[in-house]
Amino acid sequence: MSQLQARFFTEDKRYIVDDVPFSIPASSEVEDLGNIINKLLLAKNASHSKVEFDFLVRGQFLRTSLSFHMETEGISTEEVVEIEYAEKITAPQPEECMMHDDWISSVDADNEWILTGSYDKTARIWSPEGKAMMTVAGHTDVVKDVAWVKRDGLTSLLLTSSLDQTILMWEWNSEKNKVKARHCCRGHTGSVDTVATDPTGSKFSSGSWDKMLKIWSAVPTDEADEVEEPADRPRKKQKTQQLGLTRTPLMTLSGHNEAVSSVLWSDTEEVCSASWDHTIRVWDAETGEMKTTLTSTKVFNCISYSPLCRRLASGSADRHIRLWDPRTKDGSLVLLSLTSHHGWVTAVKWSPSHQHQLVSGSMDNLVKLWDTRSCKAPLYDLAAHEDKVFCVDWTESGLMLSGGADNKLYSFKYSACQTDAGA
Amino acid sequence: MRSSEKQEKMKKTGEKTKAKRSKEEQEEQEEEQIFNFNNNNKAADEDGGDEDLTDSEESVFSGLEDSGSDSEDEEEGEDEESVEDDDDDDEEDEDESVKTEQVQQGEQKEEEKEEKEDEYAQDSSDEEDIRNTVGNVPMEWYKDFPHIGYDLDGRKIYRPIRNKDELDHFLDKMENPDYWKTVHDKQTGSDIVLSDEQVELVNRLQRGQFGDVNFNEYQPTVEFFTKDVMIHPVTNRPADKRSFIPSLLEKEKVSKLVHAIKMGWIKPRRVEPDSRGRFYDLWANEDSSILSNHRMHLPAPKVQLPGHQESYNPPPEYLFTEEELSLWEQQDPSDRKLPFVPRRFSNLRQVPAYQRFIHERFERCLDLYLCPRQRKMRVNVNPEDLIPKLPKPKDLQPFPTTQSLVYRGHTGLVRSISVSPSGQWLASGSDDGSVKFWEVCSSRCIKTVQVGGAVKDVSWNPNPSVCLLAVALDSVVLVLSPSLGDKQVVSSSERLLSGEQEPTEEAGPVIWSDTEGEELNRGVRLKIHHPKAVHQVAWHAKGDYLASVMPDNSSHLQVLIHQLSRRRSQNPFRKNKGLVQCVSFHPLRPYFFVATQRSVRIYNLVKQEMTKKLQANSKWISSMSVHPGGDHVICGSYDCRLSWFDLDLSTKPYKMLRHHKKAVRGVAYHRNYPLFASASDDGSVIVCHGTVYNDLLQNPLIVPVKVLKGHVITHDLGVLDVTFHPTQPWIFSSGADATVRLFT
Repeated sequence: MSQLQARFFTEDKRYIVDDVPFSIPASSEVEDLGNIINKLLLAKNASHSKVEFDFLVRGQFLRTSLSFHMETEGISTEEVVEIEYAEKITAPQPEECMMHDDWISSVDADNEWILTGSYDKTARIWSPEGKAMMTVAGHTDVVKDVAWVKRDGLTSLLLTSSLDQTILMWEWNSEKNKVKARHCCRGHTGSVDTVATDPTGSKFSSGSWDKMLKIWSAVPTDEADEVEEPADRPRKKQKTQQLGLTRTPLMTLSGHNEAVSSVLWSDTEEVCSASWDHTIRVWDAETGEMKTTLTSTKVFNCISYSPLCRRLASGSADRHIRLWDPRTKDGSLVLLSLTSHHGWVTAVKWSPSHQHQLVSGSMDNLVKLWDTRSCKAPLYDLAAHEDKVFCVDWTESGLMLSGGADNKLYSFKYSACQTDAGA
Repeated sequence: MRSSEKQEKMKKTGEKTKAKRSKEEQEEQEEEQIFNFNNNNKAADEDGGDEDLTDSEESVFSGLEDSGSDSEDEEEGEDEESVEDDDDDDEEDEDESVKTEQVQQGEQKEEEKEEKEDEYAQDSSDEEDIRNTVGNVPMEWYKDFPHIGYDLDGRKIYRPIRNKDELDHFLDKMENPDYWKTVHDKQTGSDIVLSDEQVELVNRLQRGQFGDVNFNEYQPTVEFFTKDVMIHPVTNRPADKRSFIPSLLEKEKVSKLVHAIKMGWIKPRRVEPDSRGRFYDLWANEDSSILSNHRMHLPAPKVQLPGHQESYNPPPEYLFTEEELSLWEQQDPSDRKLPFVPRRFSNLRQVPAYQRFIHERFERCLDLYLCPRQRKMRVNVNPEDLIPKLPKPKDLQPFPTTQSLVYRGHTGLVRSISVSPSGQWLASGSDDGSVKFWEVCSSRCIKTVQVGGAVKDVSWNPNPSVCLLAVALDSVVLVLSPSLGDKQVVSSSERLLSGEQEPTEEAGPVIWSDTEGEELNRGVRLKIHHPKAVHQVAWHAKGDYLASVMPDNSSHLQVLIHQLSRRRSQNPFRKNKGLVQCVSFHPLRPYFFVATQRSVRIYNLVKQEMTKKLQANSKWISSMSVHPGGDHVICGSYDCRLSWFDLDLSTKPYKMLRHHKKAVRGVAYHRNYPLFASASDDGSVIVCHGTVYNDLLQNPLIVPVKVLKGHVITHDLGVLDVTFHPTQPWIFSSGADATVRLFT
C-alpha cells in the first residue's frame, strides 16, 4: 500500500499532462504531487515555470496525505485514482481600508462602485479604489441594508432600507455626483432589515422585522402612490414630502412568524427569504405564493444564492454555514455544513464567478473564504477586523469586501481562476 | 546485670568443684605456687605470649570464662559509678574463682606426676589461696587499709600501687590484645592474663560440657541383669502347688460377675457402632433432612480441600521458583494467593510442625462464628436504577449554550434588564444612572437615557401594541417611551399616557407628574413619585396596570398598584405581612403574587382575598417568576436555592434546586420554550429545562441543562438579572461587570 495508481487530469488547458496512470507513493501530499505535475510539465514544455497546484480527489480537496484522505473518504486504493488538479487559489490580498463614521451594516458592490450602509443613518458610495464619492443622507435612523438597482450610464438607482421602517430609492449621477431621493417606500411597520433587487432591475423585495416580505416596483416614476395614512402627525408628513415620492408595495408576502432577516432573488420569478423563525421560504414573485420551506432549528441571519451551483448558503446564529438546495420538495435537507466560525455568522456570499467558493463573515471578527470542495476547513481566514463583521460582498472584478463594527470596510484583491470561472 | 550475676554464681560453683579436685596440689606446693604465680604474673604483664607458651600444652581443663569477664570489664568501664557496689561484689566473686584457677594454673606440671602417686595423700585444707590468709571475706573490708591481707607469716600484704585510672583502662582496652582475658585478682591486687587453655575451659563450662576434655560421658553400660531369657532359672526352687490348681477365689469372683451379668446388673460394654466413625466427611454434601427442617438453613462454610500444594511432596510445578518466592515475600499477607510456601520433604517423617496451625484454626473458628445464621432477603438494586430517569440535555434542545454577544457600554453594575415584547430591543438599567436600549441582534446601543440615579429595575410593558418602559429609580417610577418601533405603536403608547387625567386625590401617597422640556425630549413621559424608595416594578400582562414595590418592614404601604390609563394608584394591602421582596401579576387570571422574605402569598384581586400562601423553605427570597401558564412559580433565594412551586400540588416547593454556590439574584421563565433560568452571585447562569404538562397527573419535568459562564465577578457580585428572549431560546444576563450578555 505504499504505491498508488493515479491518473492526473485538469480542466486548465495550460497545464494538461498525458493521460497515463502513474504510480505514486501513497503517503505523498499536496507538495509532492505538485512537484510531480511540475516535472511532467517541465518535460513537456521546457519554458514552464513552477506553479502551485491544488488537488482534488473525487471533488474533495486534498489536505492530508493521499492515503489518509482516501481512507477517510472511503475510496478504494486498488483502482486507479483520478486526481484532478488546478492552480492553487492564492490568498486574497488586502487592498483598501475605507473608514466610516460608524458601524457598517451592509455593503453592495458591483464592478464600478461600492455602496455601504452605516449605523450613522447614511449610505456611502465608494470607488473600488477606496475613494469616498458620495454620502447619501436622508434616513432618520440606522441604515440596515443597501442595494444597487440599475445603472444606465452615469445615473444609477440605489436603495437604502432603514430602521425607520422606510426604504428610500435614490438616483445618483456619478458625473455630477449628485444624489436625489426618488421614492420613499412606506408600508413596513418594523425596521427594514433587508432589501434585494431582482435580476432585471424592475422590482425589488424587502424583508422587515414586522415579519412581512414586500415586493415593490423598482421603476422610478414621477407620481406618488396613494397612501391612506392616519392623519395624526403632520410633522412626519413633511418629512416624507422632503424625501421623494411615497411608494406602496406591489405585493405583501406574509408567512414568516418572525423577523425576516435576509431576502434575495434567485430568479426573476422567485424570491427567497430567511427569517428568525428558523425557516427559509421560497416564494413565487408573480403570484405571491409560497413554494418551498426549508426548516432548520436555528435563527437565520443571512442567505446567499449562487446561480452557478444553484445552492443556497445560509448563515445562522449557531456558527454554522449550511448549504441548501432550494428546489427540493421535501424541505429541510442540509447538503453541507461548513463549521469553523465561533460566533454568529452574519454574512455569507457566494462567489459571482466561482461555483464552489463563498465568503462568510461572523461576529468572531473573522471573514473566511470557503471552498465547498474542502468543507472541513476554510481556504483562508481574513483576520483584518477588530470587531464584529456584519457584511461581506464579492464583485465580479475579483474584489472581496467586508465591513463591521470597527467602522472599517476592507477590500481584498482576489485572483479568480479563469478556468474555474468557466466551469 | 542480674543475669550476669547469676551466671557468675553458677560458674563459681562449677569452678569450686573443680577446685576441690586440685586442692591437694595446691596445698602441697604453696610456696612454689606463690613464687610461680608471681613470676607468671610478671611474665604475663611483660609478655603475654610467653605465658601462653608455657601453659598451652599442659593445662587442659583450666581457664576462665572469657565472655563473662569481658562483659564485666566493659561494664566496669562504662557504668562504674552508677553500679559500683554491684560491680564490687561481682568482682569479688569473680576474684575467688579466678584465684582458684590461677592456682591450678600454676601447678599443672606437678599435677600429672602426682596423679600416679597417692591421690589421697594431700587432702588437708579447704583453703584455696594460701598467699593471703584473710580467708573468704569480702575484700571491701580492707578498702580503707593500705594492705589487703596477711601472708602465711602474718605480714601485711600491701595493696599494689595501682595508678591505673580510667584513661589507662581505656588505652589498655584499646591497645592490649589480651585485655579481654585479663582479670583483676582482688585478693592479691594484681592483674592476671588467662591462658588459652583457661579460656577454653571457661568456654567448655559455659557450654555445659565437662571441664575435662578426656572425660567420656557416654561410657558403655555394664548390665547386671540381661533382658534375655536364660535357660537356667535364677533359683532352683520347684513350682508351687497353687500354680497348678485353679484359684477358688477367682472362681468365686467370676461366678459373681456371671451372676451379675445374668441378672442384668452389669451390662456388657456397649460396642460403639463404628458406622459414623470418629471422623466425618467434612466436604460431603449436607444432609438434606436438615435442609428440609430449616427452610432458611445456611450450611457452615466449608474449608477448602487440600490440594497438591499442601502435599509434603508436591509435584515440582507446584514448588515456588525463586521469583515466585520473592514475589510471595513481597506481597502483603492478605494479597497472597497461598498462605504458605509449598515445600518438599523426602518423607512425611521430616515434615515439621505446621506453624500456622493455630492461626488457621482460629480463622476457621472465626469463619464459623461469623457466618450468617439467617438468610437475608436482599433486594439487588442497581444503583443506576435509583437515579431518576432524566432525559439527556442533548434531547432537550433548544436551550442557550454559548455566549454570543456582549453588550458593552454601561459603566456601573447593570441591575436590571428587560426585553421588548417583540424581541428586537433590550433595555438595561444600571447603577451609572442610565437606561440603555440595545438592538438585540447587533449589540448596538441605540439609545441612552440619563435618568440621574441608580436604576433599580426596568420593565418593558408586555403589551406589544404599546412601547413603554417602566424604570424604578430611587423613590420615583419613570415611564419611558423609547419610541422604538412602529409609529402606530408609539402613537398608541402616547395615547395611553395622555389618557384622561382624574382629579388628583389629595389623600393619595403618590404624585403623578408629566415631564417637560429636557426630560420629555429624552423620552421620559411620566413620573410617579413614591413616598419611599422603589425596588421593583411589574407590569400586568395587559399593560395598563403597574405594581411597584417599596420594601419597608414597618409599614403596610409596601406595594402600590398604578393604573396608567387613569393615572390612579392604590395600596392593595392594609396589613404588613412582612418585608415584600417582589411582586408579580398572574399572566392570565386576576391573581397577584407577593413574595415576602420567606413565603409567597397569592391574592385574588377580584375577590380581594388571599388564596394561597407558599412556603419557600428558604431564608430570604430574592426573586420570583411566574410560569406563562400561571400554575407554576419559581423563587430564587439568597441562600443559593431555587424552589419550584406547583400551585396545584402543594404549598411546599415541588422541587428545590441547589446548584448555585452563592446567592441567587434572578430567576426567569421563558415565554414559549420549556426553559427557566437562575442567575447567581457565583457568576453563572443555570438554565434548566422545565416541561409543564397539561395532564394534571404528570409532574413537571425539571432537568438542569446548562451552566452559562461569562460574567466576571465584581465586588462579590456576579449576575444580577436574567431574562429570556421572548421568541428565541436565548437568554440575556446582566452582571456587576457592567455588561449584558446574550447566550444562544
